[in-house]
Amino acid sequence: MADPKDDAGNPSVGRRDFFKGAAVGAAGLIVTGPSRDAAADAAPEPAVTPAAPSVAVPTEAQDLAYAQAQAGAAVAPARAGIASGQQPASDFMVDVLKKLDFDYVAINPGSAFAGLHESLINYNGNRSPEILTALHEEAAIAMAHGYAKAAGKPMLVCVHGTVGMLHGSMALFQAWADRVPVFLIVGQHRNPTGIVNLPHSAQDMGSIVRDFVKFDDETTTLERFAESTLRAYQIATTPPMGPVLLSVDADLQEEMIEAKDRPRIPELVRPSPPQGDTNAVREAARLLVNAESPLLLPRKVGRTPRGWDLMIELAETLQAPVDVGTYGSWQDFPSWHPLWGNGGAGYRADVTLGLEMSDMSALARAARASGRKTISISSEHLFQHSNIHDYGRYADVDLAIAGDAEATLPSLIEEVKKLITTDRKRLLTERGSKIGAAHKDAHKRYVDNASYGWGNSPISVPRMIAELGAQVQNDDWAIVSGHQFTGDWQRRLMNFDKHYRYNGDNGGFGIGYDTPGSVGAALAHKRQGRLSIGIVGDGDLNFQPGVLWTAVHHKIPLLLVVHNNRAYHAEVMIVQRMCGSRGRGMANASIGSVINDPPISYSGMAKAYGMYAEGPIDNPRDLAGAYQRALAKVRAGEPALIDVIAQPR
Amino acid sequence: MIKSTVTLFAIAISSAAFAQSPPPATGDAKRGQELFEKTYKCYACHGYDGQTGSPRLVPMNRTQEQFLAYLRKPSTPQMPKFVDPPEKDLVDVYSYIRSIPVAAPPADSIPLLKSIIDKRQQAK
Repeated sequence: MADPKDDAGNPSVGRRDFFKGAAVGAAGLIVTGPSRDAAADAAPEPAVTPAAPSVAVPTEAQDLAYAQAQAGAAVAPARAGIASGQQPASDFMVDVLKKLDFDYVAINPGSAFAGLHESLINYNGNRSPEILTALHEEAAIAMAHGYAKAAGKPMLVCVHGTVGMLHGSMALFQAWADRVPVFLIVGQHRNPTGIVNLPHSAQDMGSIVRDFVKFDDETTTLERFAESTLRAYQIATTPPMGPVLLSVDADLQEEMIEAKDRPRIPELVRPSPPQGDTNAVREAARLLVNAESPLLLPRKVGRTPRGWDLMIELAETLQAPVDVGTYGSWQDFPSWHPLWGNGGAGYRADVTLGLEMSDMSALARAARASGRKTISISSEHLFQHSNIHDYGRYADVDLAIAGDAEATLPSLIEEVKKLITTDRKRLLTERGSKIGAAHKDAHKRYVDNASYGWGNSPISVPRMIAELGAQVQNDDWAIVSGHQFTGDWQRRLMNFDKHYRYNGDNGGFGIGYDTPGSVGAALAHKRQGRLSIGIVGDGDLNFQPGVLWTAVHHKIPLLLVVHNNRAYHAEVMIVQRMCGSRGRGMANASIGSVINDPPISYSGMAKAYGMYAEGPIDNPRDLAGAYQRALAKVRAGEPALIDVIAQPR
Repeated sequence: MIKSTVTLFAIAISSAAFAQSPPPATGDAKRGQELFEKTYKCYACHGYDGQTGSPRLVPMNRTQEQFLAYLRKPSTPQMPKFVDPPEKDLVDVYSYIRSIPVAAPPADSIPLLKSIIDKRQQAK
């Protein structure tokens, strides 16, 4: 087997060394540009292993055994088909991709990238990136979506031309809407010869999904492949982040090249994230410090530990409440922090600061009508596409600052601190005390409400979550699914006190992300020894159940709790409302939106894919034991599933 | 394929309009349960027992007349309009809701919830 080498001919590092190397993240990459510190600040989260990991972190020997099992018997490639002094062009492509620090590449196989596939397996030894076998392209890209949010860096995905890309397009759309980087390679036959390959080629492959990728290119030469790969990675990971796509010709992958034919591989340059204008930041600080009732609305700021810490520092410096909204992409702020929330009843914000909010239009309109002020700091001001309306309505805020919120926060905090006098600080402290007391009371009331229907069957949503929280209270846990359909119970009943406690919703409000996204995020948390939990709807699970097999096959520790209400429940309510508004009766309202006849056995489904599973569980007294047994599997490094028959909401 | 997001129903059927319980219901609670669960699917928003959804229906503090008037002409667009159902159906549904015992022990009496409250109260 050929030793994988980097562009300089140096042997690549082993898996264990690689993960140690990941501790410096992108700081290890060559950085040029105006601010090395700023670029380093934007580096992925350091790989800090807690003193007591909650899930088993594989040993060196287990790593080796796993890699051998993944590679199969043919780890050492035969070279009979390769003439002396030559190598496949796809080997060169792998050398380019290795510049990008990919740990994994998710694929559903296709002949249009078979050359690259073979190089990843045999030339690269299926390590860094390691292939994840997905059973559907949507699952592959959704895994990459969830992974990127948890790992702080993109995953590579390879799919087949047209058909594979179209299968994956839904997940690509969600990553776009969530402003999450995914690096997609689409193989295609530029010169198709047969009836099968013809419909899998396109003269402009990227155009099919161009409305929801940040950059795409057709790479027709190796030189262009190298440059476009590095450019695409730059673009994907510079705020506002987003998925990127390279279309790569199958013939180009399969060409045989000599050393003299290898183009130079450029170094990866990480641009510093855009920061807000100094004068505008100063004005924002003035408005916030002078406000009687400021309100902070962060979105996507807590994507890194640094952003998380900065958000806490700004809130505590201003003693201002922090409302993270209903459908967050990340956690953004500790859920039990005294300043969490909207300040309590009667708190009427006179200055509202949105950080990476995509739509402040309603806030801005209401504020202008009543003499209040709104400020936006967002990289969204720098880049948008036209077609998809995810950019929201036009917001006539009083002060719009184009810049990445996390990158701008240090200067904003500095300006705020300069303006706070001793007298002002006393007033701010009083305000913070009132907000903290209001939050404490509100939290108590919320937990009181959790007792309604506590012993009932189907199981109440708060009981389903509270029982889970009790079982993992001594673990280093992370909720890797969204909470779109379980209300606010997760962050009220569990203390989201770390930036990775919550991986957020899907961004595009499409069903089918939570299950594969959870698997991808759990993979990112695996090396940190964190215990990953996905609370997914039965409707969501049915979109990509095959990802359960991927989790089992790749030994990804993850507890999946199925919130099984046997319906596309949101739609049940919407159709009811439609029936009512038209006065035609509600007897038929559930046709087309419930999934109860026959009821689906999700534990049976999981077992069919080789996963440990229990359920359906409809007695709340059975929950704790089921969680304990499943968590024992997860702590040992396996996925497990618990099917809970729960109240609709 | 793409599901729109539903805002939780923020209606106030069970708002504490009355400090004391309203007069007894006059309908058939058993039939009302059937209507609640199967015909009108009230459970979809309010939970199978009227106490886990949003908003809770239990304890019901509206009078029968107020309840019917609200269903015929809800004050929020999230609540379906029950224009066509016969009055008897709605009276029976009301009777069922009134018959549901409140199953909400004090949170402090549930060790698991008390533990959450205590931890939050001890947080800074």
